[in-house]
Amino acid sequence: MPRNGKLVRIILVLGAVAVAASFAVTAASAKRSAGSLKGAGSSFVAPLVNAWIAPVNSNLGISMSYNAVGSGGGVSAITNKEVDFGASDAPLSVFSPTCTTCVQIPWALSGTAVLYNLPGAKNLLKISGAVLAKIYLGQIKKWNDPALQKLNKGVNLPSTAITVVHRSDSSGTTFNFTDFLSRVSPAWKSKVGTNTSVAWPAGVGGNKSAGVAGIVHQTPGAIGYADVAYSTIAHLNVFKVQNRAGNYIIPRLKNIKAASALDTHPAKDGSLSIVNPPKNAKYANAYPISTYTYVDVQKSSANAANLKKLINWAVTKGQAFGPKLIFQPLPAAVVAFDKKQIAKVK
Amino acid sequence: MSTLDTTTDVARRPLSGRRAHLGDLLLQGAAGLAALGAVVLVGLIAYKIVQGAKLSLSTFGLGFITHVGWDPVHLSFGAGSFLFGTAITSIGALILATPLSIGIALFLTELAPGGIRGPVTALVETLAAIPSVVIGLWGILVLGPVLRDHVEPFLHSALGFIPLFGPPNSAGTGIFTAIVILTIMILPIISSISRELFLSVPGELKEGALGLGTTRWEMVRGVVIPYTRGGVAAAVILGLGRALGEAIAVAQVIGAFTGISWNLFNPGNTLASMIALNYQGASSGLELSSLIYLALILLVFSIIVNIVAQLIVRRVAKRQGLAQ
Repeated sequence: MPRNGKLVRIILVLGAVAVAASFAVTAASAKRSAGSLKGAGSSFVAPLVNAWIAPVNSNLGISMSYNAVGSGGGVSAITNKEVDFGASDAPLSVFSPTCTTCVQIPWALSGTAVLYNLPGAKNLLKISGAVLAKIYLGQIKKWNDPALQKLNKGVNLPSTAITVVHRSDSSGTTFNFTDFLSRVSPAWKSKVGTNTSVAWPAGVGGNKSAGVAGIVHQTPGAIGYADVAYSTIAHLNVFKVQNRAGNYIIPRLKNIKAASALDTHPAKDGSLSIVNPPKNAKYANAYPISTYTYVDVQKSSANAANLKKLINWAVTKGQAFGPKLIFQPLPAAVVAFDKKQIAKVK
Repeated sequence: MSTLDTTTDVARRPLSGRRAHLGDLLLQGAAGLAALGAVVLVGLIAYKIVQGAKLSLSTFGLGFITHVGWDPVHLSFGAGSFLFGTAITSIGALILATPLSIGIALFLTELAPGGIRGPVTALVETLAAIPSVVIGLWGILVLGPVLRDHVEPFLHSALGFIPLFGPPNSAGTGIFTAIVILTIMILPIISSISRELFLSVPGELKEGALGLGTTRWEMVRGVVIPYTRGGVAAAVILGLGRALGEAIAVAQVIGAFTGISWNLFNPGNTLASMIALNYQGASSGLELSSLIYLALILLVFSIIVNIVAQLIVRRVAKRQGLAQ
């Protein structure tokens, strides 16, 4: 019974998230001890950071803990020095007040997948950024809308109503997704904009990735979004998203890697955007909703030595843990930049 | 909830005129401290909330309360849609839960055969022990689809002429789902308090009524309900308090829509769930402060509800001639 299997899996994942969230709150005020590092933030990068905990302990002798409280929570925790490092999918400049005494280091690379549930339809239907923006603006309401049908020639799309599903909580994934929509749709940019949460013009909200996946899973006709790693766990259908070269791209490692070729030189503040690469043969296979996610640390930190060790390891050896979790290892130029950033921590 | 006036009670008189025992002193000190602690705590919470909401208070003023909208990109915030959502979900849940809970309590005290009273009571009370996050998950994955596929279409076709029962929502998450979830959550509170109250009705009164030849229903209506009316009203208000403040389960099933929709099947949002969903990730100081402003509104709302509850209980008690 595949349907039940899927349900059980979603329930398990949801349960794990709930437990993690409740721990996060209590742990945020826990005490620190020497040789241990505490981090909090992005749930998007949490699977990777959690995979690092054991090897960091055995290789570096540092016991590390991480609470996936969300990007905004991570930024406020590092700003208030409640943790040794914060993790955020959105660059620091998005937040106000933000951490002005922090160093921002891109430390993982992945993407955001667009999910759907359409009974009878195959996986990997095609969608373009412009159509996706119209769907999220509530202007395209049916699956057999000419715009969608045109993208999927040869597929007989039903007249099922589209249910738009978005995050109801603030989230770095929402930042990535709305960043993409703002870049492909002027209407989206002016009416809604880019942020970790926005005034959604249409649809229903789900709490965390698990909530979005849950609603998409049980709603025929639903379209939602989640980070690529989560969408793989949730076993939901994903769209191939059209990039500016005109190709329809699956959210997969090699296509995220192709997008990373766009720019490997972070800005002075450490931010690096590779969303929606321009029309160019070089990015022919680039997945357009690819994103870096950041670790933020205070320039002067009581645990500077251990922090530097940890982040140095994370952006080098730690990257090897990525591919299994659909994180593309960082390009060499970004690693070189990161090492310079890490040197600023004292 | 009902506060008996105990100042005339001998035991309540200060220690003068009686020999002061060390135990008495300790008891008075400890109990007094505990009571004081509660008062101080509420005061501190109120102080912190007002302080946190200052930025939003000075930016938006009182217009915030009625403004409908929440836009973190353009920094425009308002509580209107969440106040509406809180009111409609809580009232809806009370309308469903009150008769059901009183029915359960009456069944358990007056009608059920002895053998099943214990197990059913335990099961109803178990409902209260289910963590709200679990109820919320069940709401998304199980209850939502059932409501969407069966209950909502039925209500729409039968009562569609009332704007509240508009076209069903395709996702199964919305105000109606939140109402049903809240109903399940406040049911055990109202029913277990009501059950205790019904049990407290003196047997002679009931036997007397039955002896006069009343039916069981007449006995319930004429003796049990009037005798316990104030307490039951208080129990309902307690349930309302829970419904007003419940955050997580509602956040999971209500669909997080900012705006006012009279169709119960559309998504909405409440004060508590809005705070729970966005507090950790607020991207600006103004948004954070506005979320705390929402908390302030919720606090004031709860205090008003509590005061109203006290008044109701006192009035009912007076009418019964029980007040001293």
